[in-house]
Amino acid sequence: MGTQTDRKDLFPGALEMMILQVLRQQPLHGYGLVQRIQQASNDLLRVEEGSLYPALQRLLKAGCLTARWGVSATGRRVRTYQLTPAGRKHLERQVTSFEQMLEGIRLVLAPVKP
Amino acid sequence: MTRVRWIRSLFVRERMDRDLADEIAQHIEEKAEQLVAAGLTRDAAVREARRAFGNITGVREESRDVWRWRAGHDMASDVRYAIRQLRHNRSFAGAAILTLAIGIGANSAIFSVVNAVVFRSLPYHEPAALVSVASMDPRRGAQPISLSYFTFFEFRRAGVFERIASYRDTGLTLTGRDLPAQLDGQLVSWDLFDLLGVPPLRGRGFVSSDEAPGARVVILSYHTWQTYFGGDPSIVGRPIMIDGEPNTVVGVAQRGFTYPIRSRPVEIWTTLARDASSATVQPITEQRGARLLNAVARLAPGTTREQAHAQLNAVAARLAAEHPATHKNLPGTDVRPELESMLGPARQAILVLWGAVALVLLIACANIANMLLARTADRQHELSVRAAIGGSRGRIVRQLLTENLTIAAIGASMGIAGAAAIVRLLVVMTAEYLPRATEIRIDAGVLLFTAGLGVAVCVLVSVPPALWIGRAALGRGLAGGSRAVTVRHERLRGALVVAQVSVGLMLLSVASILGSGFVQLTRRDLGFAPGNLLTFRAELTGSRYTTERQVAFIDTLLERLAISPGISSAAVGMPLPLVGNEMAVAFNIEERPAAPSERPSSNMALVSPEYFQTIGTPIIEGRGFTNWDDESRQRVLIVNKAFAEKFFPGVSALGKRIASGATSNRDAREGGTVFREIVGVVGNARQSPGGGPEPIYYFPYKQMPWGPPSVIVRTTLPDEAILPAIRRTVAELDPNVPVHGAKSMAAIFATGIAPPRFVTMLMGSFAAIGLLLTATGLYGLLSYAVARRTREIGVRIALGATRRSIVSMILGRALRLTAIGTALGIAGMLAGRTLLTQLIVVFDPPHPTAWLAAAVAIVAMTAIAAAYPPARRAASIEPTSALRME
Repeated sequence: MGTQTDRKDLFPGALEMMILQVLRQQPLHGYGLVQRIQQASNDLLRVEEGSLYPALQRLLKAGCLTARWGVSATGRRVRTYQLTPAGRKHLERQVTSFEQMLEGIRLVLAPVKP
Repeated sequence: MTRVRWIRSLFVRERMDRDLADEIAQHIEEKAEQLVAAGLTRDAAVREARRAFGNITGVREESRDVWRWRAGHDMASDVRYAIRQLRHNRSFAGAAILTLAIGIGANSAIFSVVNAVVFRSLPYHEPAALVSVASMDPRRGAQPISLSYFTFFEFRRAGVFERIASYRDTGLTLTGRDLPAQLDGQLVSWDLFDLLGVPPLRGRGFVSSDEAPGARVVILSYHTWQTYFGGDPSIVGRPIMIDGEPNTVVGVAQRGFTYPIRSRPVEIWTTLARDASSATVQPITEQRGARLLNAVARLAPGTTREQAHAQLNAVAARLAAEHPATHKNLPGTDVRPELESMLGPARQAILVLWGAVALVLLIACANIANMLLARTADRQHELSVRAAIGGSRGRIVRQLLTENLTIAAIGASMGIAGAAAIVRLLVVMTAEYLPRATEIRIDAGVLLFTAGLGVAVCVLVSVPPALWIGRAALGRGLAGGSRAVTVRHERLRGALVVAQVSVGLMLLSVASILGSGFVQLTRRDLGFAPGNLLTFRAELTGSRYTTERQVAFIDTLLERLAISPGISSAAVGMPLPLVGNEMAVAFNIEERPAAPSERPSSNMALVSPEYFQTIGTPIIEGRGFTNWDDESRQRVLIVNKAFAEKFFPGVSALGKRIASGATSNRDAREGGTVFREIVGVVGNARQSPGGGPEPIYYFPYKQMPWGPPSVIVRTTLPDEAILPAIRRTVAELDPNVPVHGAKSMAAIFATGIAPPRFVTMLMGSFAAIGLLLTATGLYGLLSYAVARRTREIGVRIALGATRRSIVSMILGRALRLTAIGTALGIAGMLAGRTLLTQLIVVFDPPHPTAWLAAAVAIVAMTAIAAAYPPARRAASIEPTSALRME
């Protein structure tokens, strides 16, 4: 059930990890998040903008984020997401395990290279 | 997840969904504006923004799913799967659901009776503190004995209770209107209403000075107020005519108020002042031997019932020492919870029925467990596959549990529907004699009980299959059922059938013993001919009807009735046979005089000369009464055969003289002890429908003209044809005398035996259901065994086993199981002997052991009948086709 969107990502949890990473720098609203992710990945990572929202809901439910309705700099009514301490910890764990996995993949792939 | 959190999450979910919709709209708007700024038209920008966003509905669905209760979701899918499974096995599902519906329906129906009648507290203030108070005569066992006013006043003075109030029923005649009305009245001590904590709706109610002799005040029931006074509020404070005297209305009771609770509510209350100035020379309030009162008390705060009982016993012991002539045999008291006293023997009967119906449910459960075991075994392959592809055992057991829960839920709902119908029937059957019967209904409590029962049943029937799954390694299922597993499985199923047989036998034995007792009750000799007898009362109350005028009125009435068409003879009697009102009065035998407290006692009655002829009781010895046996003549008595045999064994009772404690005005005027001569011996006409031939002595009515007795006539025409003529005859004599309580003796008898009939019928139904379910269980077990053993039996037949030996093999198994079950059942009954004896004593069946044997025979025959079809099927197995099967 929860893994349906992940097929559009690189791997399960990647989108969540990126959201957390972006929000670690500053609180943002949904549209802002999409733009930042695309900018940060030099537009390489093009996700369907909508797929962001279920991921945000999952993070909200897990307590990694808080959301607050407010008014943006352009005078628009937006819901701004902010990282919680729990979210920060979660991100760190995710990043660590991601790096371990990358390392594993690199080791496996290395001998194949000529 | 706790329930509170779950409910809160419902709201959270809704808010989240709204927020998300907002957010998405904002997102698309922001994107569109950016695109417009980049040069697109507004329409194209919105289209592009939507495209970039993707599937909006899908996103919202998915986000909603994040917040959904996961366990609930799984369960819903389990239930869907369960329903699909049950649809595929309609015969199994149908049988299980029907069995359960019967078991749960019967239980819910009986529980609704238990709940409304036994469990629900009384509708008075702090009902737990209410107790009923009576005297106790150790010679008569645990039977409460009514109080005399003297005893009541002493108890009240002793101050053991916060309050104690007396009450006794009496008929009161309301006149001064077009037609006289006979009301069910109650004579109470002044503070009954205060004690119960239910003050009158209007008026001041009774005060202590209302007990003074000569005080004439009444409280009307709400119903009486509405019916006879049109709900006129100004009636309070005004006089109304009761028994020909003006009585001031001092209150109107609250709607529906009555005490004690019974099918005929009290219609009018007055104080005991009426008994302080009665027509007899000595007012009832001063007669120490007149034990007519019931009493109810409220325990003082901080006092337990046991403490109050002990204190009251001390008072009774003091009275017995101070007044030996009247109280020597009443040294104890009976103080029991009011509700228990109100229900009387009905309480235990209901609880026994509850137990019996629970046993029926157990039998039903065994059936379902058996079906489930067979089904689980059949699904071994499916379950093994599920285990093999990664289903955890917990998940598989949960799936099975869900299936059972689905069956239980459907069965329980059907059961409730059935129970609603049964309850309506029960109310009709018991309304006349069971207190609060009209309150029996399927309410929230019953629904809760049923739901609980459904869950309990589900857990109970799930245990054997779950056990079996635990034992039989699921992995082995893929390799084909192993023989050892099958054997253990068969044993488990056999044990269930054994349990069914034993419980079924217990039910059947109790039912057959009750049934035989009941048949005996209806068939036995009543000592008179109850057919074609009509009874009624003509109230001759009030100061106008002095004793002499009452006697004259009755003389004339009987003369006129005797020559009325449709009436062959007419008489009066008090009390009448079969109505169960017994007047036990002590007497002294002239040739064996005894001190007052040592005198024997027996029932007595007052009758007119034609009485024995009218009811059809033979005169065995001596003579009957004649019209000359009046106050001016020698005082005489007639006794029944049982009296003669008990008190004058071996000799004729004729000519013996006894002095009864019952006295007439003339006796009192003449003073001293009055001996009366026994001039006749008659047959044993039963005074109550359940009792045996009790000794009784009869006074000629004119020599003991107490109150107006009931009239009884032997009819040759239907009652409806005669009643108008009776009313006319009475009205001709006095238009202010109401005729009421007309009832045929057959109806009185039917009412009298209604409670045992009810218990017997229900018990019989339970036993029949139990037997049927047991037979189904045995049949199912054997059919299944035969089906599974088709190959083996085929081999046996191929190897030369005769069909006969196959039949006896199957029947043998059935009889073995039945025999074990029977033995256990008999053992169970021996263990529960005490309870059974208590129950059976009420019925006094002739030969309990013979009926037990009959029950065993019926169970055995049922077992053979249930086992025969599978046995036949086994014997007709064709070896060739059976061997080709696998």
